Amino acid sequence: MKRLTRVIVFLLCIVLLAGCWDQKQVEKHAYVFAIGLDKGEENDPIEVTYIIVNPDYGSQQQGGGANEPAFETITFPANDIISAKDTANVIVAKEITYDIARLVSVSEDFAKEPDFIRWMYDLTKDPEIRRDLQLLVTKEKTSDFLKNNKPVLETRPHEYYKQALERGKETSMIPFSDLLTFFRITETGEDLYLSMYGTLEKTPTTNESTDNFKAGELKASGISGQAQFAGSAVFMQGKMIGTLTAEETRLAYLLNNTLNPQGMVMTFQDPKHEKYKVAGRVSLDSPAKVKLSIRDNKSPKINVHIPLNIKIFTNHSMVNYTKDYSKKEILKKSIEKELEQKMNTLVEKTKQEYKAQPFGWSLTARKKFSTIPEFNSYNWLKKYPDAEVSISVNVRLGQFGRQSEVPKMKELRK
Amino acid sequence: MRRKYMRSKAKREQSTPDIGSSIKETTIEKNLNKTVQIFQSLYSFPKNKDVTIRHFHIPALQKDAALLHISTITSAETIDTDILKPLMTINEAAQQIDDLITVPSTSKENKVKTICKKINEGSAAIFIDGEEEAILINVAKFEGRSVEQPQNENVVKGPKEAFNELAQTNISLVRKKIKSESLVAESFTISKRSKNELYVLYISDLVDDKLLANVKKRVQSLNTDSIQNLGILEQYIEERRYSIFPSTLYTERPDRAASFLEDGYIVLVMDNDPACLVLPATFWSFFHSSEDHYLRFMYGNFIRLLRLIALFISVFISAIYVAITNFHSEMIPGDLLLAIIATRDKVPFPGLVEVLLMELSFELIREAGLRVPTPIGPTIGIVGALILGQAAVQANIVSPIVVIAVALSGLSSFAIGDLSMNFAIRLMKFLFIFAAGLVGIFGITALFTVGFFYLVSIKSFGVPYFSPLAPSYQSSGDTIFRRTLQNELFRPGYVKPKDITKR
Repeated sequence: MKRLTRVIVFLLCIVLLAGCWDQKQVEKHAYVFAIGLDKGEENDPIEVTYIIVNPDYGSQQQGGGANEPAFETITFPANDIISAKDTANVIVAKEITYDIARLVSVSEDFAKEPDFIRWMYDLTKDPEIRRDLQLLVTKEKTSDFLKNNKPVLETRPHEYYKQALERGKETSMIPFSDLLTFFRITETGEDLYLSMYGTLEKTPTTNESTDNFKAGELKASGISGQAQFAGSAVFMQGKMIGTLTAEETRLAYLLNNTLNPQGMVMTFQDPKHEKYKVAGRVSLDSPAKVKLSIRDNKSPKINVHIPLNIKIFTNHSMVNYTKDYSKKEILKKSIEKELEQKMNTLVEKTKQEYKAQPFGWSLTARKKFSTIPEFNSYNWLKKYPDAEVSISVNVRLGQFGRQSEVPKMKELRK
Repeated sequence: MRRKYMRSKAKREQSTPDIGSSIKETTIEKNLNKTVQIFQSLYSFPKNKDVTIRHFHIPALQKDAALLHISTITSAETIDTDILKPLMTINEAAQQIDDLITVPSTSKENKVKTICKKINEGSAAIFIDGEEEAILINVAKFEGRSVEQPQNENVVKGPKEAFNELAQTNISLVRKKIKSESLVAESFTISKRSKNELYVLYISDLVDDKLLANVKKRVQSLNTDSIQNLGILEQYIEERRYSIFPSTLYTERPDRAASFLEDGYIVLVMDNDPACLVLPATFWSFFHSSEDHYLRFMYGNFIRLLRLIALFISVFISAIYVAITNFHSEMIPGDLLLAIIATRDKVPFPGLVEVLLMELSFELIREAGLRVPTPIGPTIGIVGALILGQAAVQANIVSPIVVIAVALSGLSSFAIGDLSMNFAIRLMKFLFIFAAGLVGIFGITALFTVGFFYLVSIKSFGVPYFSPLAPSYQSSGDTIFRRTLQNELFRPGYVKPKDITKR
């Protein structure tokens, strides 16, 4: 009896002293799905936008909730995103939580500020914010983007953004950009960080290449208020310095030896007919092989070998690539050449324009040094613009669509 | 307080001796009338309606005799045709009674106490004038059920006979499965007043002598007036009376009892209990079912896996729901969280109360469903399913997800067939819910760790509860999964059988 009392008192002490301080009922919270950050006006450092999801939307629960909107968007000035949680309660009834937050959206203007990085580090402070949050850069003000982006079919925002960004990453039109990678690359200060780029503004342009566009540049009609996600925002040491097109993003994927993108469909010039292009599903046989040699503290020599497997789907020139080995070889060589050329242009662009690269090659360079101080004193960043980069693409042509042969035009129109 | 009571009880026992105990210690006399008088007084003869005394003359011996038996527990037919008829009709001179009566066995006793005991067990006693011994003939015929199908441990494939309330039948059912001279059914009288008989079954060339001695010591040292059945006996002989885990296996299947015997376990059988107790018991013996081995290897292991999942679901699912809705909303996928919030929105109670409310209702349905008289049984089902499931959700008292969680945990708890383990799991479930309500997943893991320490530490008749898994013993590895029968080479090492290999 005495022992039992002692045990009960002991357990009671644990409960009373430890308490349920972290306890919170799920339904007593407002769940922020996306956090938007804009440059503040005048004295306010930043402007915060929240997309707060409505759990009642679309549920079968009896008794109301059916006519409520899927989400609410609020924008207000704040000092930082942590105090913003409390500030938001001036407007929102429930306590704000970032538990299901999956997206941080910043405007291009804000990202280009030198002080931008100071606010980004707020994201590492709150335990509710996970490091796998997606980072999105919007061309316009993020508050406008989040407010006005009202997709017609995927009306629930978390579902929409999740699917749109996932799919964008699968097609490699937008880069894989989470907070963890952002902080990792920013802190090394040697590589470029690519972030997803999206906008609602439509600025259609015509380009020589089909994929050579950024978000907003695709000539699309018939869709109202829907954002475009394409291309990437380029960050250097935590500050945005430029943008890449969707095609450049895809090439950056292929050049990166730490990534293994599968299944992007690209178009190539048909070597047999100037007018037509062939479309093919490009996948890597293995991640790019990067060989890097550094001699006498000079700029590195970088050899990149990319083994590709391409399945050709279209054949508008109606040339018999399938059976004719020599023609197939011509197509193969043409694709290799085209890709190499485009990649070289991209590498040249990074050298000239950004003076750094987004391909993760600094990781390979590190392996050439036995200690970090040695690597630091080598100063990779200074040496990269003068690097000799040679790229070789090796294409293996796979099947030519479900029906591999097409009839000859001559036979078709006798 | 308790000690005082014990002392006074001891005093009482000393001061008031058993009624008639002085007579019981005596032996019977040559005088028939005197002997009959002794038994008449012992059995309160004319008042006690089913006690019958028949006076008659044996012509073959030229002597008077009396036959005493209790008519409700003896076979009148046997007494009539095999005892009275030959004794009263055969005229040829004979030396012995044994030469006259035609029953398989008789015995001679002179102690009043022993004679009484035999009569109470269903023997007929013949007292003969001038003899100092009574002749006892076993003509017992107790009323009971016939062998029926098991009620609780059902199988699809395998034998479908169950123990009943007659120990003789039960032992016969076991002997039918083990046709061996080394199967021993030793009997002990384990209570003082009701003189309940306990049969200890074991295979003499397999069972560990120490274990057997331990069990015998425990059943013989019981100091109580009456032990009606195994459920009561179990509580007398177990080591940890306050533990929530059972330490003896109660099974109504003779095939299970037989397979345990063949592994070197000890089986206890009693009258008045349609089951047997298997000692010692490990966690696995509650987790397993006899069908696991009757089914083919893959099928048997599939139901083992199902049962394991069911075990975890029934213990944890409600607790995890409480933990998630109170502490760890970030742990689950966004869509699921939003679905939970949407259903919780209009529920007035916190998650813990909600779950407890529903769990309690489920336990009530279960208990009431057991006790309800059969004719109105279906009503309980309707009340349970409709009122509690549908209406409670519609009235926003509980959220539908809680109904799913509780129903799932309730359903899963039935996958553990053993009643005692079933109770243990249901009680544990509540402990886990409280732990989750207090400190979330941390509470669940902490309680699980402590609970596991406890499980591994306890023993049943000297056998660690989680053996042969922890601590490891030589065995055929029949724990979570079983091997093919060809690979089950060893008897469980933890019961220390005399012969460890099965072939």
